[in-house]
Amino acid sequence: MYRLNDQQIDFIHSDLLRRGIRTESIRLNLLDHICILIEEHLHEKDDFYQYYTTVLPKFYKQELCELEEEARLLMTMRKGHLLLYRSQFFLLLFIVLIGPFITFDLVQIAHSTPIAGQIPSRVWAGPLIFALFPMLTLLVLFLTPERFDPLFPRRARVLLGSRPFIRILPVDFAS
Amino acid sequence: MTYSPELLKGTLKTIVLKLLSDHKKMYGYEITQKVKELTRDKIQITEGALYPTLHALEADGLVTTEVEYIGKRVRKYYSLSPAGRTAGREKLKELTNFMDTMIALLDIKPKMA
Repeated sequence: MYRLNDQQIDFIHSDLLRRGIRTESIRLNLLDHICILIEEHLHEKDDFYQYYTTVLPKFYKQELCELEEEARLLMTMRKGHLLLYRSQFFLLLFIVLIGPFITFDLVQIAHSTPIAGQIPSRVWAGPLIFALFPMLTLLVLFLTPERFDPLFPRRARVLLGSRPFIRILPVDFAS
Repeated sequence: MTYSPELLKGTLKTIVLKLLSDHKKMYGYEITQKVKELTRDKIQITEGALYPTLHALEADGLVTTEVEYIGKRVRKYYSLSPAGRTAGREKLKELTNFMDTMIALLDIKPKMA
């Protein structure tokens, strides 16, 4: 049976770190798992580094750091979080970004004194300018949502939590 | 035939908790091999799903860990905590219920042993 030496174990450990496995618990488990696989299947005459590069892709679909992301996601899900559809997220974004502007507009109008049934231009000009930004944001967010498809696919969900604060879940996970 | 990941989604915690309740302590590789053995290769737990799940179970206090040093590497053994034992029983009950519902819903006739 093949026996990995300390140098080879250090190499695997460093490589896991380099590939984004920051969580110690996952890194140690992976290290042990990979070591077992190598020691069970590698023969004395085989090349360790070559075999390692063939073993590693079995652990992920695209990149090894998927494991780290999955772990972080599970950790976020166990704490307080919000899981929103794209439209819900846009609505929340709209409220947070634009809410103060609309509130300002409404307060301005409420405090204005209509003269002969009309609101003077000095009163409505300010709120109108402040309303322009909300209206443009509204148009971009809700009338052209497909422009966000590359970043935020239509059926994907957004997870609001802590560490990371915002995470877009891919369609296959969200469904 | 191996089952699709979509079908297995959501059952991993139950599988791990049940295995740990049947065995005093297990490490990651051992869990994957045990599942393969018990299901005659029909269910293959991916490491990409197993290790993040074990990490979450540990953070939730459902499993406890102890480490064994094998030269320069560390082997992490997982065992059930009292809370994990309760959670495992609840999850198993929920899954059994779910399977009964699916059998009724899809009009599946269970095979007699």
